[in-house]
Amino acid sequence: MSVFTLGIDIGSTASKCVMLADGHEIVSKSLVAVGAGTSGPQRAIAQVLENAGKTKEDMAFILATGYGRNSMLELADQQMSELSCHAKGASFLFPDVHTVVDIGGQDVKILQIENGVMTNFVMNDKCAAGTGRFLDVMARVLEVKVEELGALGAQSTKKVEISSTCTVFAESEVISQLAQDTDKRDIINGIHHSVASRVAGLAHRVGVRDQVVMTGGVAQNTGVVKALEEELGHIIYTSPLTQYNGALGAALFAYQKYQKEQKG
Amino acid sequence: MSTEVMLNEFKEISQHPYRVLSQYKQEGKKVIGVLPYYAPVELVVAAGMVPMGIWGSNSKTISMAKEYCATFYCTIAQLALEMLLDGTLDQLDGIITPTICDTLRPMSQNIRVAMSEKLPCIFLAHPQNRKPSFGLQFTMDQYNHVKAELEKISGSAITDEALREAIKVMNRNRAARREFVKLAGEHPETISAVTRSAVLRAAWFMEPVAYAQKLEALNAQLSALPVQPWKGRKVVTSGIICDNPKLLQIFDDNKIAIAADDVAHESRAIRVDAAETGDPMMALAQQFADQDYDVLLYDEHSNQNRRADYVVDLVKKSGAQGLVLFMQQFCDPEEMEYPYLKKALDDAGIPHIKLGIDQQMRDFGQASTAIQAFADVL
Repeated sequence: MSVFTLGIDIGSTASKCVMLADGHEIVSKSLVAVGAGTSGPQRAIAQVLENAGKTKEDMAFILATGYGRNSMLELADQQMSELSCHAKGASFLFPDVHTVVDIGGQDVKILQIENGVMTNFVMNDKCAAGTGRFLDVMARVLEVKVEELGALGAQSTKKVEISSTCTVFAESEVISQLAQDTDKRDIINGIHHSVASRVAGLAHRVGVRDQVVMTGGVAQNTGVVKALEEELGHIIYTSPLTQYNGALGAALFAYQKYQKEQKG
Repeated sequence: MSTEVMLNEFKEISQHPYRVLSQYKQEGKKVIGVLPYYAPVELVVAAGMVPMGIWGSNSKTISMAKEYCATFYCTIAQLALEMLLDGTLDQLDGIITPTICDTLRPMSQNIRVAMSEKLPCIFLAHPQNRKPSFGLQFTMDQYNHVKAELEKISGSAITDEALREAIKVMNRNRAARREFVKLAGEHPETISAVTRSAVLRAAWFMEPVAYAQKLEALNAQLSALPVQPWKGRKVVTSGIICDNPKLLQIFDDNKIAIAADDVAHESRAIRVDAAETGDPMMALAQQFADQDYDVLLYDEHSNQNRRADYVVDLVKKSGAQGLVLFMQQFCDPEEMEYPYLKKALDDAGIPHIKLGIDQQMRDFGQASTAIQAFADVL
């Protein structure tokens, strides 16, 4: 009979769950697009269990991670930082990974990995620049959906620089570009390079080594991924499970914890 | 008195400096506010007054001080001004404003402009070249100015004998703090990061003799404890100040003990004593000259990266596995020094994290993630 473990990643903008069987097979996953402090976590948990036809009691170990991990302490057996979980998840998906770039809703993390274990990391300061929130703000100003940014930016034909690192100032810069009738697609491309430039600056602090893997919701934006490849000079690998990476890592750790408990 | 009772007393004082100040005034004592860094509190003690350290606030919000300060301005300095402007520090009888960094220099003038009709503001400029004889003379001239101003407030002259006695008091006070820092590193199961900070913070508010006596008693009890194996991690902390209990609670939650520190509010302030014999004013000037390995102090051998080597050595000797740097927002000296510190730590294979903090932070979610992940790395 299989052993089921559950990883819950409560981010600032989304709640994600991954259920594993025997520590390696993904049997269910869920994503609700609201995060810490909302109904998102409970809905994501209900969904992941329902998808698999399981109950909480069927879970051998539940591990919470992400910004809202401490709100899950009644349900989860343990909580861990999302950095460790992202390292774990990325190492599972890409065994040769040495650098993980995780751009989440409100922060950016660069992880250094050796043999599947995080050995160093750096996070952004308390600033939205270079984060998913930055892209959300820009998408709103440009009146496009955030998930459309990648495709639109790819159609750019002219280089536009968004030089401000501050989200508020960059927003003013974008409004100014719009007032000058600059093509939205060029502005979007400029925004992607602005994010990439800031993230690359952070990444160089801990060093960048192949394979480079990008996780978090922003990894779905092909424009940012491409711009970051240019900035770093490395191929960046992503996975369709990118948004679930933290929850996947949590579920993997949950299985390890379960095994440890069994050994006593 | 039990260790727990003593620790609670330190915590109480640390959390309620305003009550302590009011108590001094009720007892008819004169109290002098002392801003960072390296003010000769011995002169205040020798004048028969109480020195009270002002290192910002973890609970106030900057409002009135904004009128005087640029946007990107150290919150420690701004909150000191805020407390002067909003009346929190109305009971002070005077304030000493050292000017050792680019933020404090203009702040001394802001305070003078804003407050000089309300209370005496004593300007103190330390020399950049503090070690040569002319530097020592400059320091003495400045300290003599401070002495004269304090004498005006107290109404009586500060004698050499009184100053020598005050030096002895402060040497004893610093020695007790150094011993406590060592014992706290050895007994993290008894002295949590939150408690350690409260004990060291109380030093800035309590009368120096009373504090030394109480801390010596606590140290005696800690010394008698058997050293127990620590199942968590140990780090050295660095930066200007980290006395926010909510932030330090994250250390305790993740079983991270503070083995030693390179923090201006804590150990940087107590590394060097003054000579108890000879000319007491020269002893104080020499004490300042002998200070070293501080971000703010000019080092003629800076090309040797001596400060960073000192911090690396501190980590190694303390038995810590890593270093946590509290980077005070908008602090240029600490920011500019960081690459040198990082290089030395990297070369020595010592992991570290840099946490951006300021005294208006109320949410420590990001810091919590970073500290927890750092514990995993260690």
